[in-house]
Amino acid sequence: MSEPRTQPSGLTKWVVTLPPTIFLLAFFLVPALIVVLAGFRETGEFGGLAPLPQLSLDAYRFLGGDVIYLEIFARSFLVAALTTLICIVLAYPLAWLIARSPKQRRDFLVLLVILPFASNFLVRIYAWIMLLGPVNLLYTPFAVIVGMVYAHLPFMVLPLYTNLEKHDPALLEAAQDLGANAWTRFWRVTFPLSLPGIFSGSALVFIPVLGMFAVPELLGGTGDILIGNLIKEQFLENRDWPLGSALSIMLTICVLLLAGLTAWGSKRGLHGTEAVT
Amino acid sequence: MKSPSYQRRLLAVVLPALLLLASLPARAADTLYLYNWNNYISEDTVQRFEAHCRCRLKQDYYSDNEEMLAKLEAGAVGYDVLVPTGNAVESLVRRNALREIDRARLPNLRNIKREFLDTWFDPGNRYSVPYATSVTLIGFNANKMQELGLPTDSWALIFEPKHLKKIKGRVTVLNSQRELMAAAMRYLGHSVQEHDPARWEEAKQVILRAKPYWAAFSNSTYIKDLAIGTIWVAHGYSNDMWRAQQDAAAAKRPFAIGFATPKEGAVLAVDNFVLHKSGRRPDLAHQFIDFMLAGENAADVSNLIGAGNPNGAATPRILPEIAANPGIFPPPAELQRLEMLRDFDPKLRRTLSRMWTEIKVR
Repeated sequence: MSEPRTQPSGLTKWVVTLPPTIFLLAFFLVPALIVVLAGFRETGEFGGLAPLPQLSLDAYRFLGGDVIYLEIFARSFLVAALTTLICIVLAYPLAWLIARSPKQRRDFLVLLVILPFASNFLVRIYAWIMLLGPVNLLYTPFAVIVGMVYAHLPFMVLPLYTNLEKHDPALLEAAQDLGANAWTRFWRVTFPLSLPGIFSGSALVFIPVLGMFAVPELLGGTGDILIGNLIKEQFLENRDWPLGSALSIMLTICVLLLAGLTAWGSKRGLHGTEAVT
Repeated sequence: MKSPSYQRRLLAVVLPALLLLASLPARAADTLYLYNWNNYISEDTVQRFEAHCRCRLKQDYYSDNEEMLAKLEAGAVGYDVLVPTGNAVESLVRRNALREIDRARLPNLRNIKREFLDTWFDPGNRYSVPYATSVTLIGFNANKMQELGLPTDSWALIFEPKHLKKIKGRVTVLNSQRELMAAAMRYLGHSVQEHDPARWEEAKQVILRAKPYWAAFSNSTYIKDLAIGTIWVAHGYSNDMWRAQQDAAAAKRPFAIGFATPKEGAVLAVDNFVLHKSGRRPDLAHQFIDFMLAGENAADVSNLIGAGNPNGAATPRILPEIAANPGIFPPPAELQRLEMLRDFDPKLRRTLSRMWTEIKVR
């Protein structure tokens, strides 16, 4: 404790990083591999999987030969994109307001944003059933979007706030001195600087929405099925693990592609920032 | 942060915790583990059993058979008793997951009505003892139905556009491929255990024709929706309809909830006690099942949730309004028209799942 050390020693590094590494290997990588393998196996007679030696492309062939599954993927992406967009529009002013409020009040405001997490997610969705039922909006695509936006809004506010808070007010003053009006100051200074926040917020919203099944199940009508529901159905009601696994893998690949795209995008955003500063 | 005193403090926290963990199994010696449906055994019954056996009854819950089967298949062990529905019993027997019942230890088995013994899913009751039943039927807002002059004794109410026109957006059906397609099959006069995909295709057409009039696929929210009056007709389970009926009456709503088994026939679900092979206390498990077979204990589940009861000795102890309800206790003649769901081979399962996806998307 006498002299400050910035580089942790070899042992500390191992002690600190080993548990999470083991955790991720055991509970993320291994199950993921099991799912990949399950996608190539055949369904057992009474659910589950047939004995190992039989491997087949059946599940993928079944999915590939049918536009209906493509349609559900497309629809899920549309819902996720719409949810993300609405979240950006709603979260931006809020995050900006919090970032611009007096320092001693900011933590309190952030606390208010995450306060809904104190109650259970399903309870909050049930609350929407109570709210939307009497006005005849329950069981509609609108209700699904409302539920999705509601559930994910904080995930957009927080990264945006973290980003906006760091902006140097001097930049805006300088822009003003150079004759930029309010809109130009926002569009040419604040917005480009906030792109990394928008990107990470979008990733935090878009990806979970893609796999969400509870919201469409509880708030959606007769046509509101998303990939999440389809996957859940294969594993539970239909007991078709290979098909469910194949769908999960396809979804995971889509998500990974998107995450890659976002990472690339936010890097570009950062470069843009450097150009401005 | 790496001072030795910190490490010592960490040990001081972790070691006692580990010791505590190690001591737990010793205290759990006389415990029966029951893997049960939510709210499927009354608190009273549990307490009486615990006093009777001088042991503890610990429950884990599931909300559908598939959830339970999936968990067991994934390797869950240590459950002494499960409460699967008929088709799930068959599936568990085929997978060699169940322990045979020792009937000599179940003198109260004689209380079970004969029509619930020796069923196709467990000939001779080698593995299972029936506990409670439900019928998948139609629940409705009785006042609205009378007002609109709609028939409540037929699946036509949820499948025929000429009726549905009057109640558009006020109908929910179960979000269950098996149950909804079974209802359509019965409406068409087919068996729910049919193997011919062409017949199922007909059922799909019936469903697609009716779907634009439905508000939602709902597995649980219909109880509340019926009780508060936002939904007028729901396809669902008899015990849920009973609940909605009670809720509406308790809230003094200006309408009553009714439910009836359609005349074309419907799905009957029989839930059974079975012994899982991984259970450590078959002795307690037998004791529990025999206790539950006694009339006064068997009656509790009917009075608690409005479940049908295969136990003859329970009948006198069941509230008369429940025991006399034909939706909960099908009269013998009606029992002939009820069918149980049966599992299909993987190929037909996938075909039906494809039809179901199409139903959801179109």
